Amino acid sequence: MTIRPLFAALAVVTLAGCAADPAPNEQMRLTQQALEQAAAVGAVADDVPELKLAETKLAQAKADMADESYKDARMQAEQAELDARLAEARVLTQKSQEQLNVLNTRITRLRKQLGDAQ
Amino acid sequence: MNRLTCGLLLSSLVLAGCASQPNSDTVLQQAGSDFQKVKEDSNVLRIAPKDVIRAGESLARADRLSSYWGSGGDVVHYAYLSQRYSAIAREHTELVLNEERAAKLELERQRLQLALREAKLLSVQQQGKWLEEQIASLTTTQTDRGLVMTLGDVLFDTGQAELKNSANRTVLKIVQFLQLNPKRVVRIEGYTDSTGGEQENLKLSRDRAQAVADVLVDLGIDEKRIQVEGYGDQYPVEANASERGRAQNRRVEIVFSDDKGQLGAAR
Repeated sequence: MTIRPLFAALAVVTLAGCAADPAPNEQMRLTQQALEQAAAVGAVADDVPELKLAETKLAQAKADMADESYKDARMQAEQAELDARLAEARVLTQKSQEQLNVLNTRITRLRKQLGDAQ
Repeated sequence: MNRLTCGLLLSSLVLAGCASQPNSDTVLQQAGSDFQKVKEDSNVLRIAPKDVIRAGESLARADRLSSYWGSGGDVVHYAYLSQRYSAIAREHTELVLNEERAAKLELERQRLQLALREAKLLSVQQQGKWLEEQIASLTTTQTDRGLVMTLGDVLFDTGQAELKNSANRTVLKIVQFLQLNPKRVVRIEGYTDSTGGEQENLKLSRDRAQAVADVLVDLGIDEKRIQVEGYGDQYPVEANASERGRAQNRRVEIVFSDDKGQLGAAR
């Protein structure tokens, strides 16, 4: 008789201890935002593998949310957020590199013309 | 007792969940070496300090968790985040460095552009000088009238006002000269010999001068810069007694203004 409440208490404590993760709504929002931001600078999943990863993980996080596996959802979403941010940064760096190339081409052309003019 | 059970339960859950996770030690080491690299890069520290701090925090967290038995999944997770932050820090740094390089190159480009423009201007000026010499060789300076160029009789058929193709070279030089000296204006004066009636000669001389003016206008010279006069058989340069003298008198003269647009008075 005395043993039953003990089990009940144990179960409650166990549940409380193990299901401590709340629904990561804020993280989901942040991740969503990071993906949108990456898309806004022109990142495309087919060209930027990090964005592809982010999309896959966000989809997984949404599925985890639906299953109420909040810890998994949070981890997937956190990784997806940084994948997306890295994708965005890579695209921006790529663009700045292209701009540098254009400038270098123009400078080479100017130098050549200057050489011809003198 | 309770704690232990919970812990055991948790551990077994985590273990089950983490069976497919990569080796957490390897990932942790990799994250550590990535972090070390960004931490030692003064550019990264200058440009993306926040990302470096976050990489360090995530790494510390992964490191701490790695000492707990059964938290492999969390270790891998935070090590992954740390690696991502390190990578983002590198990308941000590269971006800013590229922007700094671009700013320098842009200055260089502007400097070169200016130099090129000056070089071109110089060459145009030299070209202008060359043309001026050419024009000068075709003209004679008459103190009262300024620079005068004579287009001879051979450029027109007898009695005709149409300019022959053999005049093209001279006309093109005049056009170029006027384009390089946009303030200069010209007066085109037609003259004939004394054969024929006075009115006819006046008309022919004027038509010939107009023909030259028309070609200049067709080649892009503003007609406002061109005056046209016909003087008939007045002002002969030679006696009309010989054929040679008459040929000299049949002519079109182009009077150039000075470089400020001041033209000598018409006759």
